[in-house]
Order: sequence, then C-alpha cells, then structure tokens
Amino acid sequence: MKLNTKDLLSAGLFIAFAVVGLWLNQDHNLGTARRMGPGYMPMLTFWLLIGLGSFVLVSGLFNGPDPLAKWSSAEIGFLIAGALAGVAVGMVAARIPGFPSSGWNPLGIGLFVGCLVAAVPPGWRALFLPSAAFTLFGLVLEPLGFLVAITLTVICAAFADREHLERPLGVAGLIAFLCVLCWAIFIWYLDIRVPLWPQI
Amino acid sequence: MDLIANLAHGFGVALTFNNLLFCLIGCIIGTAIGVLPGIGPVATISLLLPITFGQPATTAVIMLAGIYYGAQYGGSTTAILLNLPGEVSSVVTTLEGYKMARRGRAGAALTVAALASFFAGCVSTVLVAASGPLLTSVALSFGPADYFSLMMLGLIISAVLAQGSVVKSIGMVVFGVALGLVGTDVQTGQQRFTFGIPELSDGVGFVSIAMGMFGIAEIILNLEKPEARSVMSGKVGSLMMTREEVRRAIPSVLRGTTVGSLLGILPGGGAALSSFGSYMMERKVSKGRHEFGTGAIEGVAGPEAANNAASQTSFIPLLTLGIPANAVMALMVGALIIQGIQPGPRMVEAQPDLFWGLIASMWLGNLMLLIINLPMIGLWVKLLAIPYRHMYPSILIFCAIGVYSLQNNVFDVYQTVFFGLFGYLCSKLRLEPAPMLIGFVLGPMMEEHLRRAMLLSRGDPMVFVQRPISATMLAIGAIALIAMLLPNIRKGKDKALQE
Repeated sequence: MKLNTKDLLSAGLFIAFAVVGLWLNQDHNLGTARRMGPGYMPMLTFWLLIGLGSFVLVSGLFNGPDPLAKWSSAEIGFLIAGALAGVAVGMVAARIPGFPSSGWNPLGIGLFVGCLVAAVPPGWRALFLPSAAFTLFGLVLEPLGFLVAITLTVICAAFADREHLERPLGVAGLIAFLCVLCWAIFIWYLDIRVPLWPQI
Repeated sequence: MDLIANLAHGFGVALTFNNLLFCLIGCIIGTAIGVLPGIGPVATISLLLPITFGQPATTAVIMLAGIYYGAQYGGSTTAILLNLPGEVSSVVTTLEGYKMARRGRAGAALTVAALASFFAGCVSTVLVAASGPLLTSVALSFGPADYFSLMMLGLIISAVLAQGSVVKSIGMVVFGVALGLVGTDVQTGQQRFTFGIPELSDGVGFVSIAMGMFGIAEIILNLEKPEARSVMSGKVGSLMMTREEVRRAIPSVLRGTTVGSLLGILPGGGAALSSFGSYMMERKVSKGRHEFGTGAIEGVAGPEAANNAASQTSFIPLLTLGIPANAVMALMVGALIIQGIQPGPRMVEAQPDLFWGLIASMWLGNLMLLIINLPMIGLWVKLLAIPYRHMYPSILIFCAIGVYSLQNNVFDVYQTVFFGLFGYLCSKLRLEPAPMLIGFVLGPMMEEHLRRAMLLSRGDPMVFVQRPISATMLAIGAIALIAMLLPNIRKGKDKALQE
C-alpha cells in the first residue's frame, strides 16, 4: 500500500472543517450572485475547500507511504484521557459558583487540566506543558496578579525541559529576571492595565 | 524632483529622535533573533505587535521592518561562524560561508556578507521609493474585479512557492480565508460563525493566530528535538578582504541584488526564496563556480545581497497595493489595520509620513546594522551561549502578556493555546502555516471586492475575464498553477527548496 497518512489526515481535516462550516452556514442568507448575502462567500470558500480536500484525499491514496511518527499506547491513551478530562472538568467548573465559573475560567480550567493530563507520558511533555503553562497564565493573571502569573507559568513551562529540573536555581534566576524585565516593559513603560499583586 | 522632495520629507520623519530610537531597537532585536536559532522574524514580530500599539503607526512599522531586515544580517553571522543558520534565509550562507571560515577567512566572509547586505539594502530602498508612487498610480485605476484577481494571484503564488505540496498549501490558503470569515459581516451586520461568543464578533484574533502558529508551535517543535549547539572553533581572523576577494565578490553582489529585488516583489517570495535563487545562479554563472563547495566568496556575497534586497522589496506590494507578499508582510498588514490604517494604493498619498518615513528609515537602518554588526561581531556570537531552555519560557511569557494586553481579555490567551496546538498538528501533517496567515489577512478584503465587482457587473462573473487587468492576473495565476502540476517543474522546485 502507498497510503500517505499525512495527506489523508490533512484531507480529513479540510473536509471536516468545510462540512461543519457549510452546515453552520445554513443560518446565513445566500443572496444572489449579484447581491451576495452573508452566506455566499462562505459557501464558495467551503465548497472550494471540500474540492481541494478531495483532491488531497485521492492523491494521498497513491503518493505515499508517508506515515506519522509512531505513538505509544500510553501516548494515545493519555491524549484521549486529557481531552475527556478537559471537557469534564470544564463542565464541572462551569457549575461551581464563584471563581471557577466566572468569565472564561471554565474554558481555561478545562484546557489546563486537559493539557496536564495529556502531558503525563514523556513524549507529550514538549507539546502539552508549554500549552498548559500558557493557559495557566491566563487563568491566574487577573486574580493573582502579574508577578505570580509569571512565576507559575515559568515553573510549569520549566518541566518541559529535563535540564531545568536539575538546576532549580537557574529557574529561580529566570523568574526573577523575567519579573523585572516584564515589569519594566509592560507596567512601567507601556502601562498596561493589569493587577501587579494578588487581588485577595 | 518630487522623489527627492519626498525622500527629504521621509528623512525628516525618520530622523526624529523617537523614530531613530525605534529603528535602532528594531535593528538590534532583529540582529539578535537572526543570530539565535529557534526564533525567527515572524514569531518575533507577532510577539512585539502588542507593544507597538502605544506607538504612532509610523514608528511601529519602522521598528517592525527593522526586525525583518535586521534578522537577515544577524542570520548570516552564525551561518558563517558556526554552520548554524539563524534564519531560513541564511541556510545557503552556511554552504560556502562556513567553508570559508574553516579556511581561516571567517572575517572576510563576515565583511562581505555585511557589505553585500548594505549595498543591496541601499539599492532596493531606492527601488521601493521609485516604484511606490508609480505602482500606486497604476493601482488607482484598478476596479474591484481587478483587485479580486490580484489578490487571487497573490494567494496562488504564495501557495505555489510555499514548501511542499501545492494543493495542500492552497488548501491552507482557503482554510485561512475561511477563518477570516468569522465575525460580523460588514454589509449586513450579521454575525457569522461566532457561536454567540462576543469576543469573536470582531473576528478571530489575528495576533492569536500568528503567535500560536508561529510562536508557541515553534517552541514546541524546538523542545521536541534535542538541542545541538556547536561551540565556535577557530578565530574570526582579519575582517579585511583581499583585493582578489573584492574583485570576485562585486559581480556576485550585483547579480544577487537584482535577483533578490525581483524575487522579493513576488507574492510568496521574500528573503528565503531569493537567497536560494541567487545561490543557484552563482553556482551556474560566477567565475568562481569551480570553487563552490570549498568556500567560494561568490556563494556568500550573492545570497546575502539577495536576501536583504528581497526583505525590502517585499514591502512594495504591501505599500502600494495593500497585498502582503509573505507572512511577515501579513503581520505588517495586521499592525496597520490595528492602528486604523487600511493598507492600499491610497496609503502613499494619505500617509506620506508612513511611506516615506519607512523608506528613509530602511536606509538608516541598514547603516546602523552595518555598524552594529561588523565591529561588534563577538558580542553577537556570545548570545549563542544563552541556552534554549532559558529562551522558551521568556518567549512564552512575552506572548502571554502581549496577547492578553490586546484587549485585556483572557479569551485571547486561550485562543492562542488552541492555535499553538493546531500549528503543531499542521507541522506534523506538513501543512504550511504561512499561506494560511496570508489567506486570513486577504480573505475579508477579497470578499468585499468580490461582492462589489459582482454588484457592478450585475451578477455576471465574466467581468473577471473581460477586464484586461483582471484577466491578465488570472491568466498568470493559472499558468503558475499549471506549471506546478507538471512533474518536471515541480521536481525542480522541490530540489531548489531542499538544497
């Protein structure tokens, strides 16, 4: 078999996106070619994407083989577990009054937990720990302030690199450096409206 | 005479203290990220976009432009000294430059790279200045149909010239156009694909896409592969070139400048493509072609001139037509739109400060780069001592604060995470993010022009082939597409991009 897995998955991505788009586009008035409604351009775009996706799909059946890197069973398992945990925790958080359900926090909490769970197998750490760290920043910035957010984000991101774990002092130095630098640029110079210290 | 008066005006703008300062900052940051592998101009500019909002538009663009062409200078330093391309555009410089360094001529290679870049920068700046008003007057006669076809052409060429499969790249362009549809429809005010999320009614965040797909995804990919950084061996040696080397380098610089200026204007072109183009050319036509592979100075002079020329002429389509030629220019469009300036042919007249100030600043910036690069080369090489494990948390933090400060909304932060994960997926599937970003920027403009053109033609799609300008654009686009589907040409392109 000469299956090109990468092309087949890309085609699947394109077609799935376009089909969902076309389905959502039913809400919009198409109009006529002369007076196009809000739905006309999306319709053209999504059909074009389906066409291109089909082309990639058909050619992907023959121009391989181009397999993806092998995933271990732990990697697949924790990826699914992470996705499920993220959705579940997000939904639970939305029902808890107070901080967990306010604003975009359910999304952030779900995303953070999902990324953390998926980062359990070593192969996923480079992917999900920086993502988790980035989410964490959004989550803690408003309640705990700028400096705490920087500290926690750097600590979380540091776990993605083995060498950091052997040199905790280096991480501490990095945190101190970034706190001073970011304070100087964003708070002192640009004056962005962000709480500096915890708001409790 | 107009040109001189305008340029004088431009220098007046560029020489104000604030603009000079930010030009210098841009050049320094550009050189630094050029030297450092693992972070490129696209990621850096998207990172710094939020910081520029507090500045006037001219200052912002001057600084961002400085980062782009500064990176071309810096990229060559590590390529020559360490066989380590700091940027994609300096990959070819490693081929001959590092060999020269091994022969003990590192100093000469650095000098020729800097001088070639400087010369090319000066020439292409004049080219931008001269072609700007000219192209603008042409562009003002464009109707909506012509604009639509022009953008179509831009999208096709940017997909054709992207690495890898052309069909997949076009797919990414269309994907980007589709993402650009999210938000409020301009004509009817209807919300499209927003899922009732108020944050999406202005569209998907441009900065989130750029930072996610170029910043975060790049961090993840860099973390995945183990760090391999060589230490500099040997000395830089004398910076002086011998008379023989000068004589051999001059024709290459001239050829490189020409190739780079032309390829830079092409949509989808830019610094990387033109340095490859120039290298291929030097290997075929230069007098020293038999020395290629052992450290021929032509192989450094030509590509270095070309990538710097291209990084400046790629501003031409942006400044005159409002069409971004590559991902960096797409970011510039984003920067301008957020500043409330719609890029397009009226920009030269409506924003003379911006247009002429930017051109003058390019020249000043090249001069500054020459000074910051040559005598201080040792300082820049020391930057390489910073390990990536200290860089990536800093980049993350900068991205996070920057994206949050756009609208003081954490939704943008989470959106960025999604695009980071998506960007990682794309790179695993060999889907190019750059065409998507260009599609995203051009999509809304294309829709507007399409609607207007069809309204004017009373619903007759033939208008696109009846108007001569539009028909020409579409014909060129079709030829480019067909050419890429021919196996021979495609193989040639793959080979050229891989080498």
